[in-house]
Amino acid sequence: MTADPPPNLEELLAVLLSREVRDWETSACGAVSHIPATALLLAEATHAPHAQIIILGSEEYGRNLGKDFHFVAQRGQLDLFFISGIQIDAEGNFNLHVIGDPDAPDFRLPGGYGTGLLYYTAKRVLLFRTEHTARTFVPKVDFVSGALKTPDKIKRPRNSTKVVTPMAVLTWEYEAERWALESVQAGYSVQDVQENTGFDLLLPEQVPTTPEPAPQELHTLRTVVRERMIETDTYPEFARSGIQQA
Amino acid sequence: MGVPFVPIRGLAGTDVFKRRDDMMIMTNPFDPEEDIVVARAQNPDVAILHGLKADREGNAILRRHGEDLVVAQASRKVILTVEEIVDKVSPDDPDGTYISTINVTAVSHAPFGAHPTGCPPRYEMDKRQIKEYLECSGNDEAFQAYLDKYVHSHKTHEEYLERFGVASAAPR
Repeated sequence: MTADPPPNLEELLAVLLSREVRDWETSACGAVSHIPATALLLAEATHAPHAQIIILGSEEYGRNLGKDFHFVAQRGQLDLFFISGIQIDAEGNFNLHVIGDPDAPDFRLPGGYGTGLLYYTAKRVLLFRTEHTARTFVPKVDFVSGALKTPDKIKRPRNSTKVVTPMAVLTWEYEAERWALESVQAGYSVQDVQENTGFDLLLPEQVPTTPEPAPQELHTLRTVVRERMIETDTYPEFARSGIQQA
Repeated sequence: MGVPFVPIRGLAGTDVFKRRDDMMIMTNPFDPEEDIVVARAQNPDVAILHGLKADREGNAILRRHGEDLVVAQASRKVILTVEEIVDKVSPDDPDGTYISTINVTAVSHAPFGAHPTGCPPRYEMDKRQIKEYLECSGNDEAFQAYLDKYVHSHKTHEEYLERFGVASAAPR
């Protein structure tokens, strides 16, 4: 019997994100979110069979209009939401709009759509990024698409905000108002993470290694989840090319 | 909705909020302890939307996904282009979202009118054309050339469709 191939970047992130999805809760991802969509379906197929899952744009998991789903969030009933960003900064802001001067940008992105709202209304937010570099983790984003600091009298649930990357898991410390290093992915050191982050992280004395994707998680991902995505037309092209066949 | 503004949760502290003059923070009139962002109503003069079918009274079925119905409800005039004209559309049509004639100003029959975008479940987007559109929209000169090639060179919608070989498949 040959060993299963190690997880690729997308598989690693999908597995790590899936572990944050809780059973019986309502968890959602927006449009153009193949990694979170995979994570949601993996969680449903493993530890969270009763999770309410919303994958925007999906026939099977879309739960209809974006408007509906925003209303769920505004009512305080969205437990978990996934957001990516081209930049994430020391103050907990993320950028999905432009690189450079917003009035004369070097590089223009599709924008934030509802993320500036959902960053406020979801109880927990998982930020993720496919690279962990100092160009992503900057002292200050070029454009604030979503803000973590909130004016005093504006209501906002505050459970947790984390970032998951190929190198580490960061968690926002609300008292200190800083990102702390929660765990480091296998194969990387605390020093690697700090050197590739453009601001100082809060470093606990002991930083654990994130448990690697287990054989069972990868197997379920590469069989049940992969098939389910193709079957339900949920990012089928990604499922075919990005998730390895068991 | 016909109201001057709506309260929304979120966006405070973002550059989206800072750069717009149609959003501000006010105190909740029912709870002095709470501040909330309010956004001024957007009321387009005219909305042009593409749908699946319309009937002779102007009731129609819009695409199932998206916010077309909200756009129509906010706009002063609404022009619909549709794949098909039928005698009567049903509010229960499973293919899409029903819009009542009270929201509709005019209807025009335009098979494949969404091209090069899609109109599910009738047809999907034309990926090759969208790719070319994106490549050409990088600067004014390339975009003008795109318009000349695909839009201005055709006198009618039928001529445009023939170029892409979809006219023969149009519902009759």
